[in-house]
Amino acid sequence: MLQLSRLAHGIFFTAAMLICGTALAQDTPNIAEKVKLCATCHGEQGIPINKQTPVIWGQNEGYLYLQLRDFKSGARQNALMGPLAAGLEKDDMLSIAAYFSKLKWPNLEQPSASGDVATKAQSAINSVGPCTACHLEHFQGDGSTARLAGQWQDYLHTTMLAFRDKSRGNNPGMSDLMKATSPEDIAALAQYLAGLQIDAYLGHGR
Amino acid sequence: MASYKLTGALVSALVIGFAGANLHQALAQEETPAAATTKHRDAPVASVSQDQLSGAAGDENNFLHTNGNYDQTRYYPGKQINTSNVGKLRPAWIFQTEVKESLETTPIVVGEVMYVTTSFNHVYAINAKTGEAYWHYKHKMGPVTTYCCGPNNRGVAIYGDKVFMGTLDSKLVALDAKTGSLIWQTDISEPELGYSETMAPTAVDGKILIGTNGGEYGIRGFVRAYDAETGKLLWNFHTIPEDSTGVWATHDATGKDMHRDIAAEKAALKKLGDPYKTLGGGVWQNPAVDLKSKRIFFVVGNPSPDLDGSIRPGDNLYTNSLVSVNLDNGEYVCHFQYIAHDVWDLDAVSPPILVDVKDKDGKTVPGVIHGGKTGNVYVHNRDDCSLIRFSEAMVDQTGMWSLPTPEGTPMLPGANGGVEWSPMAANPELGLTYAVNLHQPMTYHVESSPYPGGKLWLGGAFKVIPGSEQFGNVTAVDYNTGKIAWQKKTPLPMMGGALATAGGLVFTGEGDGWFRAYDAKTGDVLWSFFAGAGVNAPPAAYNVDGKQYIVVGAGGNVQLDFKRGNNIIAFTAD
Repeated sequence: MLQLSRLAHGIFFTAAMLICGTALAQDTPNIAEKVKLCATCHGEQGIPINKQTPVIWGQNEGYLYLQLRDFKSGARQNALMGPLAAGLEKDDMLSIAAYFSKLKWPNLEQPSASGDVATKAQSAINSVGPCTACHLEHFQGDGSTARLAGQWQDYLHTTMLAFRDKSRGNNPGMSDLMKATSPEDIAALAQYLAGLQIDAYLGHGR
Repeated sequence: MASYKLTGALVSALVIGFAGANLHQALAQEETPAAATTKHRDAPVASVSQDQLSGAAGDENNFLHTNGNYDQTRYYPGKQINTSNVGKLRPAWIFQTEVKESLETTPIVVGEVMYVTTSFNHVYAINAKTGEAYWHYKHKMGPVTTYCCGPNNRGVAIYGDKVFMGTLDSKLVALDAKTGSLIWQTDISEPELGYSETMAPTAVDGKILIGTNGGEYGIRGFVRAYDAETGKLLWNFHTIPEDSTGVWATHDATGKDMHRDIAAEKAALKKLGDPYKTLGGGVWQNPAVDLKSKRIFFVVGNPSPDLDGSIRPGDNLYTNSLVSVNLDNGEYVCHFQYIAHDVWDLDAVSPPILVDVKDKDGKTVPGVIHGGKTGNVYVHNRDDCSLIRFSEAMVDQTGMWSLPTPEGTPMLPGANGGVEWSPMAANPELGLTYAVNLHQPMTYHVESSPYPGGKLWLGGAFKVIPGSEQFGNVTAVDYNTGKIAWQKKTPLPMMGGALATAGGLVFTGEGDGWFRAYDAKTGDVLWSFFAGAGVNAPPAAYNVDGKQYIVVGAGGNVQLDFKRGNNIIAFTAD
């Protein structure tokens, strides 16, 4: 996995933003042209360049589309993705979402959570909702709901905390549920979800 | 400028480095699959007439409606399987679907053909005698699906030579009952704004009736009628009127104080206006149809957002209500609201049942009964929707109605009920209705946020109280007195629904995999079968070649996280 120093990282992000922003906004003839620069951050083989950048290969189509829509509208704030999505039309977003949803989710080789952590996470899962009411039994998600299984632990942790303090503002329901979940439970959830390997369970459904 | 130069340098690197062949290869991978029907052979099914549908209550051979008949009694008139031989019930066949996920389908049976649906909108036509498949239809799902509580589907409606299904991406599809081919598809509403379909439609007089989910997403609910032949919209009834304020009721249907701050609500109304456009009011289950008066009766779900009443002042009509409209044109007839300005999601979901009931003077009148998430059975006069009586509480109601707080307030029932979507069954001979209930202690938390444009909008959270015992029960209620006739506790909260039969039986399943038959009079368990996965679907019954069958889905449940499976199991007494 590509590792960058903080400075290089910042330069890289800035540059990628400018490039992608232009490339994505252009009326390029095929989807490959539109998405190839996404690999800058989300990874050439679907493994993102750092642990705060989410896996999007194999992510659910409706979820990816709604995030692009929300980046564009500003409902979800992100210094990089906002400008990138600004030039996209709905059809572009749907095409990009469809494209990435069909790629295979990469194995980030994160370890399974220990028994204690898994127990704590399971208790938190059942406490509100349960989480599986929307993210489904194996945390594969569906449609507009994100797959969480096998996502970066750091990204999951940061995201749940961002919902909790409402700095991620594009899903108030998630903010409410995370506010009803303690930071300790959120840490356990992130570790547990990151360590789930669910390839064997996929394929039931749509 | 400096950044531009860096950008320029990176362009080459990125294009060379990342525009690799793998992406182009990936592009060539499969396209989104189209709606597909896998046909083994045609289903030998005859066209279903309105007379057949109207006479379903007395029809032992077929099971033509999700809730048995237009009255929705789920009372099967056959007696071949009865209290004396139910102990001999054995699986006649087990059909395994492709989808191992939450099953809430009620099998529909016409002659020798059975139709079942699964999560994610698959439909199967199978041989009701042998369990062999005729055809399998898989809906081409749109990318955006916004649904609460699982990718469920509760079954098809049949009319003429077509079967009808609502989909998670808010479409209504009509399939050829013989071949499973798609005949037409109609957009019902916009999934991106939180609309979805899980209920089975109801077919009557050339119309296909359907409501909508979305009470957790700030929709404006409705019940609609579509033309069975063409899919064209015939009428629409908004479950939320433009004036949703009501009468500022301070007490619920049972007389309990709901602790509303009416002055604050009136001030909010002045400031915010009527919240009708995003007030929720989904309709999760089938309407009952009164063929004589040409009226339908349905219940309307919770207001949006579920727990935060501060931004939706007023009674929030017609949420948490029984509503009647004219079958021919959808015009309002009457309503009765159980909980005005609900902030607990203890709404009205289980389908209403039409039965004759004793009024307050002991006179027999046409009635409507409904099992609430509150844990009460409500008994109404069908003429004007007015409440005649309510039953004893079937579950603990300690703390009702304590207001939600940011820190969380404990109150019973928890937000799943009482009676959830599970249909009751009624035995008109005994004057009993059979309800399955949940007991799940929860705390109610409130958080305020503005309308999020189709995203989950709970206005807080429901939180299970750690260490608290959860369980369920099966309860028989005398709807002429409101008294509980019998009640049996179950180890897990109950979800799925009941079937009553003229054989003196009540069938219902449990989340741990048990499917049981109860004595309708006493509640004694007469037979049990372990299905291996949660039995959380409503049972049905039918008769082929002189032999009676009981059938049920065992696929578990998303909402309560009961063990998933993919089985449709038919039983005979051999």
